[in-house]
Amino acid sequence: MTQRKRDLGGGGGGGGGGLRGWGAPPSGWLSLLSFAILLLAWLVAFSSRLFAVIRFESIIHEFDPWFNYRATRYLTENGFYHFLNWFDERAWYPLGRIVGGTVFPGLMVTAGLIHHVLNALHVTVHIRDVCVFLAPVFSGLTSVATFLLTRELWNQSAGLLAACLIAIAPGYTQRSVAGSYDNEGVAIFALQLTYFLWVRSVKTGSVFWSVCCSLSYFYMVSAWGGYVFIVNLVPLHVLVLLLMGRHSGRLYVAYSVFYVVGLVLSLQVPFVGFQPVRSSEHMAAAGVFALLQAYAFVHYLRDRLGLTPREFLALFLLCVPLAAVAGTAALVLLTYGGYIAPWSGRFYSLWDTGYAAVHIPLIASVAEHQTPTWWPFFFNLHVLLCTFPAGLWFCLKDINDERVFVALYAVSAAYFAAVMSRLILTLTPVVCVLSAVAFSNVFERYLADENPRNGNNAAITENKDSKRSSGGGRSGKLRKQHVASSSEAGERPGRGPTEAQEKEEEEGGPGIHLRAAVCLTMLFLLALFAVHCTTVTSTAYSHPSVVLTTRGSRGDIDVIDDYREAYYWLRQNTAERARVMAWWDYGYQIAGMADRTTIVDNNTWNNSHIALVGKAMASNESAAYGIMRSLDVDYVLVIFGGVLGQGDDISKFLWMVRIAEGEHPGDVRERDYLNARGEYRVDAGGTRTMFDSLVYKMCYHRFGELQLSARQPAGFDRARGAVIGEKDISFKHLEEAFTSEHWLVRIYRVKKPDNREPLENRLRVHED
Amino acid sequence: MAPSYNINWTLFVFSTFLLLIASSPTVTADGLCNQNVKRTVDLSTHLAKITVDILLSNRGGSAVQSFTWAVEPDLAPHLAYIGASVWGDAEEADATLGLAQTTIHGQRGQFYEVQLPFSMEAGAKLRVKVEMVFSHVLKPFPTHITQAERQLVVFQGNHYLYSPYPTLSQNTHVRLASKAVESYTKLGHPIKYNEAIQYGPFRDVAPFSEDAMEIHYENNTPFLAISSMTRTMEVSHWGNIAVEESIDLRHTGALLKGPFSRYEYQMQPDSGLSAVNSFKTILPASAQDVYYRDEIGNISTSRLRVLVDSVQMQVKPRFPLFGGWKTDYIIGYKLPSYEHLYTRRDQYALKMRLVDHVFVDQVIDSLTVKIILPEGARNIRVDTPYPIDRMPDQLHYTYLDTFGRPVLVATKTNMVEQHIQDVVVHYTFNKLWMLQEPLLLIGAFYILFIAVIIYRSVISKGMRVSIKVHQGHSVHCDISTSQHVPHCVMNACDKIPD
Repeated sequence: MTQRKRDLGGGGGGGGGGLRGWGAPPSGWLSLLSFAILLLAWLVAFSSRLFAVIRFESIIHEFDPWFNYRATRYLTENGFYHFLNWFDERAWYPLGRIVGGTVFPGLMVTAGLIHHVLNALHVTVHIRDVCVFLAPVFSGLTSVATFLLTRELWNQSAGLLAACLIAIAPGYTQRSVAGSYDNEGVAIFALQLTYFLWVRSVKTGSVFWSVCCSLSYFYMVSAWGGYVFIVNLVPLHVLVLLLMGRHSGRLYVAYSVFYVVGLVLSLQVPFVGFQPVRSSEHMAAAGVFALLQAYAFVHYLRDRLGLTPREFLALFLLCVPLAAVAGTAALVLLTYGGYIAPWSGRFYSLWDTGYAAVHIPLIASVAEHQTPTWWPFFFNLHVLLCTFPAGLWFCLKDINDERVFVALYAVSAAYFAAVMSRLILTLTPVVCVLSAVAFSNVFERYLADENPRNGNNAAITENKDSKRSSGGGRSGKLRKQHVASSSEAGERPGRGPTEAQEKEEEEGGPGIHLRAAVCLTMLFLLALFAVHCTTVTSTAYSHPSVVLTTRGSRGDIDVIDDYREAYYWLRQNTAERARVMAWWDYGYQIAGMADRTTIVDNNTWNNSHIALVGKAMASNESAAYGIMRSLDVDYVLVIFGGVLGQGDDISKFLWMVRIAEGEHPGDVRERDYLNARGEYRVDAGGTRTMFDSLVYKMCYHRFGELQLSARQPAGFDRARGAVIGEKDISFKHLEEAFTSEHWLVRIYRVKKPDNREPLENRLRVHED
Repeated sequence: MAPSYNINWTLFVFSTFLLLIASSPTVTADGLCNQNVKRTVDLSTHLAKITVDILLSNRGGSAVQSFTWAVEPDLAPHLAYIGASVWGDAEEADATLGLAQTTIHGQRGQFYEVQLPFSMEAGAKLRVKVEMVFSHVLKPFPTHITQAERQLVVFQGNHYLYSPYPTLSQNTHVRLASKAVESYTKLGHPIKYNEAIQYGPFRDVAPFSEDAMEIHYENNTPFLAISSMTRTMEVSHWGNIAVEESIDLRHTGALLKGPFSRYEYQMQPDSGLSAVNSFKTILPASAQDVYYRDEIGNISTSRLRVLVDSVQMQVKPRFPLFGGWKTDYIIGYKLPSYEHLYTRRDQYALKMRLVDHVFVDQVIDSLTVKIILPEGARNIRVDTPYPIDRMPDQLHYTYLDTFGRPVLVATKTNMVEQHIQDVVVHYTFNKLWMLQEPLLLIGAFYILFIAVIIYRSVISKGMRVSIKVHQGHSVHCDISTSQHVPHCVMNACDKIPD
């Protein structure tokens, strides 16, 4: 029984080499099995993310990935240094954007490097395909990293299960399907790897592992803004360990090396710049570093001066709080003096869920920044949501340094996920780890063979021999031996079964029927989970959102390709330097697919510029014309879903109004767009301001004449289920330049001013 | 009045000059005359196709081997294709004749010396057919139209046959695209019926006569032109030939003025008549794995139909093409190599179409053809059906290549449907080269496995130490991680019998 577990633990511990010291190599097939399971997990992770490619094509999805793709192309075409110095004059016209300094380059550099290496080997892969398949490949790596982390925390079999769980968990799949070429795709891998290396370095206290951890952290910093999570969680772990009295030389070495090297490395990323030393988000790490030094110093004094415990306590109580107070005071002073940036608005919105809605409508307008309800949790985590507290409990019951870490990880990630729905992504890995621990623990208990196995290897025989020889003091000897053998297998003390488990095992454990029932139930749950994951991945997360589909009358799939139709029209048939105004959601797509200059895009760094565009969209035509002339706009693009019944710019129009109102409260007022009863209407119940707004006019231009079906009157808007209120729409300064086949994208040309101002009225003629 | 006089005067000077240099071998003008000319000017598409049926008669004293064909100076730069053949009851019927470009001093225009299949005796007569295709000669007028307007074009040509020989009698039949004709020149009281205009007969026309013919009429046929096209054919000896064409398409008709209204285009049948919504491309019957995409992905609007003798692709660009609009796309497919690659021992011959069908009445302004041969192909020789500009050869690297595949590059401008002909590339290839790629793979894996074996056996063994614990007992410990050693030793102590 114990022997079996020991085998499992030893399989991959020392790369299979651990048990070989005893002669016969029983671990060979186990490491092969582990390797095979990991390989399969990788394959499953990769292939389950290919639904979109198989159903549609190898295409970049959604919005942000289009920018990443464009940046990657720039990187591959112009080289790394040009990329770092890239000033993109095609975005945020007329301001431009310093891309090299405002982007996390990790993703692009990774893809560019892979592309470069493949092409150097004459594997002629297009950069688009590298970008599309990057996230699935990295999910395989993530599952390997998760395996390593879980193995450090618990044991090999839990690690393998965790690798399998993370490979298909929808919470992670949602951000890493093929084509979803976004920072998170590589960042979750970097996150897991950093955590694994951190745990490793805390366990070993080795500088080597700490430096590895810092390097991995550097990669994470270069890839995703979520690195702040690491740089706060790791100090928190150190702090909690200190408070628990678990300070050790290992911890000191690990954290000191990690902090110093990690800090220096993170300063190298242009976008991060001096933030690690100058912003409040990073101050916790610095504080804990100082505290750790103080703590170690006090310990050093104790050893050096040979203090008694009483004296030491006095010194400790004097120094450590003093250091803490001094640190806090310094922090406050520096913040006040402007040397350290105060907390950003996005940070506040993590603590106060109502903050963004009141102060930053731009953040609140994004769906993924909303507070999730219960169903996204269930949808993304399914049964794991129920099992991961059990895993957490198992960890806490048998606590050690690294399990403290995973507990903190679980609690903080769960909190953040509850605040912001997109952070379910960071919760998913730890949920998989802890659920794997829970499942593995249950299986270990209930799946075990009742009769002790007849050893087929030398280890067991030898072990039995030693058991017999030890006679009366059997238990103690066995324990000692267990520790010894498992350590040799690459394990650390504390990972093996606990005394309690061992006692139970010696008593024989639960009966056969109970075992069968429990195991079958667990297997059934896991099977359900697998089915759920596949369904969710296939139905919810494998849609490029650039291409829409409908079911035809004969059940065939009709592809609605309006976005690309319009974007390609822009690309081909407008001047190369034409400036296109659209709501910021479409900025990256216009830049990526249409290759035209945009006024605002998804980077949203300049709120007032976005508000200006919002104001133009919300104003009447002549006021909007003034703004558009001042912005040199040549074309205006709106998304209109009235024909297809899609969400569109009319649906998000109130956000435009709100954001514009934030900057121009005198010119745009939300209540003007709502009727007397406070309703937002496009039909006859709407307001005059609404009907005169640019978005309304551009969306519904000539729509009033269009009769979509015999049962509906002309001008029936399918998205809102109403006949539009104003059908007679004509323009003075704009003209329709292009409308896609299903009217989803409408592009208007902004006319140049006439040479002579036309007279509004007829000339008054004197009649003498 | 004055211009025609001038022309006649220069003609007179020229003909005397011609007589003076008659001994020159390039000009065999003496004695020939066009006894009867039937000219068909087909303007029903965006091309001008002029077919001339001539009864040539030799009135001179000696036999002739060739005759000279002239193209008007205004039309000559637009000449895309010219071909001549003999009509007759002899066994040489319908034989295609060889053409060579030549010059005539003092005359503007383009001239060809047409080799006859046999010597034409004095007094003999011969029926010759010459076919010419001109691109971009129909000029839209007005140059800008709105979406609702129809497209009108002007053709400017010659009422007479432009020929170095006197013409005794000639007719010109002009075919138009529609009945709607704004205006046409009325030399010799032409007859207009339905979609055609009949000029002539004109009798006894002097050599090199020119008289401007101008027809302004409605033509809503697709004015599509391929502004540039790159056709790549990659030969693999493993069984297929990958063809990829990257095509830049342009609507060369009257430019769209004012707004494009989708409502009108969808709801009104006569809106955007000259716009191009889709066209058919005929691919070879054995084409497989067809793809149709552009810079931003697959173009989902296309449809593929597999017919008995071809694969027909309904190419629908992402958006309808109005006047002046352009788009581009890439179409690619695979062909089995047994249909196009012939071999005898290490001699190979690749027979492929130099350019293939894109749409009916296609015109390609600029074509680049790249033929990628397998790595190791040498002694390359190319037989082209018509002259084509060879560029310096290139090298192409793709999967498992070491020293690159030879790429033949050639360009040609102004091509039409008549240019869809086969090119033959001969080369030698040692079949042993076929083994190179599998061997490369095997070698790579071999090295990988060897490396792993070496790592496992040498490096991890090197990290082990033997520690002598007790008399006769020693233990092997892994020193790659320092923590292992004490446990390892401790463990070994346990094993020592007490």
